[in-house]
Amino acid sequence: MKVRIALFGALRDADPHGFLELEAPEHCTVAELRELLRDHLHEHAPHISASLVQRSAFASNDEILHNHRTLPEDGQLAILPPVSGG
Amino acid sequence: MTDLHTAVVDICESQLDPAAALAFVSDPRFGGIDMFIGKVREHNLGRVVTGISYDLFEPLALRMFEAIGERARKEIGGPMKLYIAHAKGDLRIGEIAVIVAAGTPHRDEAFRACRLAIEAVKHEAPIWKQEHYVDGDSAWSEGCSLCEEHREAERTAVHGKKSHAHGHEH
Repeated sequence: MKVRIALFGALRDADPHGFLELEAPEHCTVAELRELLRDHLHEHAPHISASLVQRSAFASNDEILHNHRTLPEDGQLAILPPVSGG
Repeated sequence: MTDLHTAVVDICESQLDPAAALAFVSDPRFGGIDMFIGKVREHNLGRVVTGISYDLFEPLALRMFEAIGERARKEIGGPMKLYIAHAKGDLRIGEIAVIVAAGTPHRDEAFRACRLAIEAVKHEAPIWKQEHYVDGDSAWSEGCSLCEEHREAERTAVHGKKSHAHGHEH
């Protein structure tokens, strides 16, 4: 399935469009997507640190999706680096 | 729910308004109102700051503000009005980044609700700040991880330290 990942904060530097598109297997978990993303960034955006990806959470519009969750069917996700509001 | 107001305010279109927050949480039942206003300050960690850009994942931020409101309501357990608004976009020194206001019958619940809400907004809501410095450099602030595995690791790493201990300052 095609997955579209919206970028925020420091991870916006990964792509000027503000999102990335990856091909993920069916029934892919968030943990597996994290590995795919890390490999993708290693190749296409090596200035993004792997530890930043490790510390980031994935989310839908409605909730944080922890590592054991499978990807939403519509393939729409956001990746949220550590937050710093206020 | 009419007792909870949540908003993300695009600074290009409008500004955060403490008077509106105060009006929202005012009620004949309430003798106590507490309001927290967060502003952009000119120094951070020894560097001169000229402004801050706020990035938000808006739909999830609004949902989280609502969830924070529910948590505050359970914690307080009585009547309460709560106002949570955060700015989005490029702010200058002295401009308001966040307002949390709570109205309750007495001061103790108002203080507690306001504190709970602002701490949750800072640590849990999908909001990111990029500081701009006088030398032209910019940097995204180090923040709190929302990844459960990493949060757990941070808690373990700082176990035993006092106060706001999760590995960084803010």
